[in-house]
Amino acid sequence: MNQIVSQSGQNHAGGMRELISFRIGAQEFCVDIMAIREIRGWTAATALPQSPSFVRGVINLRGAVLPIVDLASRLGFESTEANDRNVIIVAQIGEQVVGLLVDAVSDILTITDDMIQPTPDVASETAKTFVRGLIPMEGRMISLIGLERVLPDLELEAA
Amino acid sequence: MDPLAAILETFFQECEEQLAELESGLLAMEGGDTDPETINAVFRAVHSIKGGAGAFSLESLIRFAHVFETALDEMRSGRLAPSGEVLKSMLRAADVLADLVRAAQAKEEGEHPNAAILVEELKAMSGAAGDADESEEDWGDFEFKPTAVAFETPEAPETPAGAAGFKVTFKPRADLYAKANEAALLLRELGRLGAIEVELNAHDVPPLHEMDPEAAYLSWTITVTGDADETAVREVFEWVDGDCELTIEPLGDAPQADAGEAPFDLSALLARVQGDSPAMAAPEPDAPVAFEPIPEPPAPAPVVVAAPAPIAAANETALDGPAAAAARKTEAGATIRVDLDRVDRLIDLVGELVINQAVLAQRVMEAGLARASAVAMGLDELEQLTREIQDSVMAIRAQPVKSVFQRMPRLVREVAAMTGKPVRLVTEGEGTEVDKTVIERLADPLTHMIRNAIDHGLESPEKRAVAGKPAEGVVRLSAAHRSGRIVIEVSDDGAGINRERVKSIAIEKGLISAEATLSDEEVDNLIFMPGFSTASEVSDISGRGVGMDVVRRSIQALGGRITITSRPGKGSTFTMSLPLTLAVLDGMVVSVQGQTLVAPITAIVETLQPKPADVHSLGGHARVISIRGGFVPLIDVGMALGYRREPLPASQGVALLIEGEGGARAALLVDAIQGQRQVVIKSLEANYRQVPGVAAATILGDGRVALILDIDTIVAVSRGEMRKAG
Repeated sequence: MNQIVSQSGQNHAGGMRELISFRIGAQEFCVDIMAIREIRGWTAATALPQSPSFVRGVINLRGAVLPIVDLASRLGFESTEANDRNVIIVAQIGEQVVGLLVDAVSDILTITDDMIQPTPDVASETAKTFVRGLIPMEGRMISLIGLERVLPDLELEAA
Repeated sequence: MDPLAAILETFFQECEEQLAELESGLLAMEGGDTDPETINAVFRAVHSIKGGAGAFSLESLIRFAHVFETALDEMRSGRLAPSGEVLKSMLRAADVLADLVRAAQAKEEGEHPNAAILVEELKAMSGAAGDADESEEDWGDFEFKPTAVAFETPEAPETPAGAAGFKVTFKPRADLYAKANEAALLLRELGRLGAIEVELNAHDVPPLHEMDPEAAYLSWTITVTGDADETAVREVFEWVDGDCELTIEPLGDAPQADAGEAPFDLSALLARVQGDSPAMAAPEPDAPVAFEPIPEPPAPAPVVVAAPAPIAAANETALDGPAAAAARKTEAGATIRVDLDRVDRLIDLVGELVINQAVLAQRVMEAGLARASAVAMGLDELEQLTREIQDSVMAIRAQPVKSVFQRMPRLVREVAAMTGKPVRLVTEGEGTEVDKTVIERLADPLTHMIRNAIDHGLESPEKRAVAGKPAEGVVRLSAAHRSGRIVIEVSDDGAGINRERVKSIAIEKGLISAEATLSDEEVDNLIFMPGFSTASEVSDISGRGVGMDVVRRSIQALGGRITITSRPGKGSTFTMSLPLTLAVLDGMVVSVQGQTLVAPITAIVETLQPKPADVHSLGGHARVISIRGGFVPLIDVGMALGYRREPLPASQGVALLIEGEGGARAALLVDAIQGQRQVVIKSLEANYRQVPGVAAATILGDGRVALILDIDTIVAVSRGEMRKAG
């Protein structure tokens, strides 16, 4: 299905996997912990010209230039009002390292694969692109998202 | 990478060095260098390549190198005179050898088109001088051909009774061969110390069916007479110490009995080897020295047959031995090979250190500490240290331009042959160092410029004769450091630029209007315009649709500039000025709509404060500014990058007059200039992607990312928009 699933399948025996969950507005999301490099506070980003609105710009991560994606905006929500309370989740996506701007990190979840329910067939393109499954947890619903498509696709943009 | 592939990789790296050595040696000889060491260096280079190729069974390479080596050996021994014709063939052979190495590296199969011709030429040379049997030898499979075994003991020098000397017994173990040493070379080296008498002890050679092809069976007894002391003798074997059994006895101490004994009976050995007769396996009675039998030592089989032949050459005293020379070479400069990734990582880290240091300094300033305070002074020292570290680290990756320059003689030979113009290439300043990243991208533009200089710059020999010039044209390639940049010049002593023709072509192609009055310099620089080519017929060499505009673009992509100066009848000179590294850039730090941006200084001609009266609107957002009577487009950088929707009134900003691709000028309007600074270039593409109008990013003293402007794109985009607006 996606890279993250296969990766964690190798790393966790018995289908156990660890996820990091975070909040965007009232919604809760999670990504595989194996993709996460670090979590850091918000620093002002340098805006990039000719970039999609969800790309907040670039920041300096110990000498590397790190693009910041406003995950709320990317997932089709109202864009995050960035302030000191926001956090940046630094994630490895393929060869690239990307910062994801979210409201707050809430938890680390340990789940088994059978706890993930398939995404219902909804019309939203965003859901199809990013949501890999739903996890019910203590009466809440957490969407498991895949990160491969988070950065703007060069070919699609050009077309 | 598996170990063998790693070794192979190293072999090819060394091949590159050897090939360079080979070519420069041959060129030096062509230039009249008669130093025996030069010939030896050339020989060694080919020999090492052959040796390495043998270890990896690179058949076509071995075969060619072997023939080449044989011819060089003839030259080395003085039997083949290094005449101009011979050296020309050898240079061509060096080119073929280089091609074969590259083919082997790329794992390409197939014969080199010129290889066969040159093999014949080389064989003819060495055949004329000496016994070329060896070159006929098929290195692919090791046949025991009796003919190849020229086993004559060198004409026994009369050992003066009581003369100073040593008796050396030498029995190589298999390891010696496994390490690519060769007994014959050691014996030859011994021969330099004085008269030697060599006796082969082949009694341990088993019958063929028992023979281990990788074992070592032969040993030698050598009587050295002369003034050499024991240390000198021992030094010969220094390299194989531990891989052989070696005894050295002064002649006086040892009984002289064996020295005069009958030479080893070769026919018996051959009979035994060929006849495969177990009965003959018993040791010969005349074994001069008893060795401890080595249990099954592996060694390459060909030594059994091939080794004795060079012994005949052991008496050649004029030789400077490879071992001694190799030792000298090692002393000259101790170097290590380091993976480039490690150096790059180090350079990145030091870049970060410099940034962090700058951040710290800024914080201290903001804290209001006095300049004379201990903290501030400590910081100053830290700054100096970081600068020095940065310089030293950059120096690691710096390389002399020689690595690019040395590819050019071959190019010149080829182009000269194609055009039929005799050309001499003169290079200067090969030792000038510049960052590896720059060097790698120099080869293409240089290749093109040199081709161009020969094809278009130099006249035909007939025309040169009419002009009273020597038939041989001279192309000069030089490099030098000038004010923190490297300046590379390519000049020819040809006819210079035909300005009338350049102008008429430019008019014909619509590059300039017929009425334009241009200075000589402006006409000369027309050749850099895209779509310009003066060659009346498309030639094979430079008329490939790649014009000087491509050269100019690739130089500009390196942050450099290129200009041409030309004098009719005297020739033309292309001058390139390049940054010493691509890792840092001299930038003008400017602010635009609250953003901090960096403009590469190389593109900026001047800065000016626009007066409202000089700025004219062309409708829409398109504006031009008049500068000394001419109009150039005024581009609002904030608008071009989408930072603002309404253009900044020109009088509120500062204009940077820039010269972009193809010499087009434009003025970039920014809000303010913050200063000038060297910045470390960081890739945007590593974690994101290319952004139009942005060349790269950097990190400023405050720790924030600033974008480096891609001036050419900004100008091109604005031009497109202007066209739409107009």
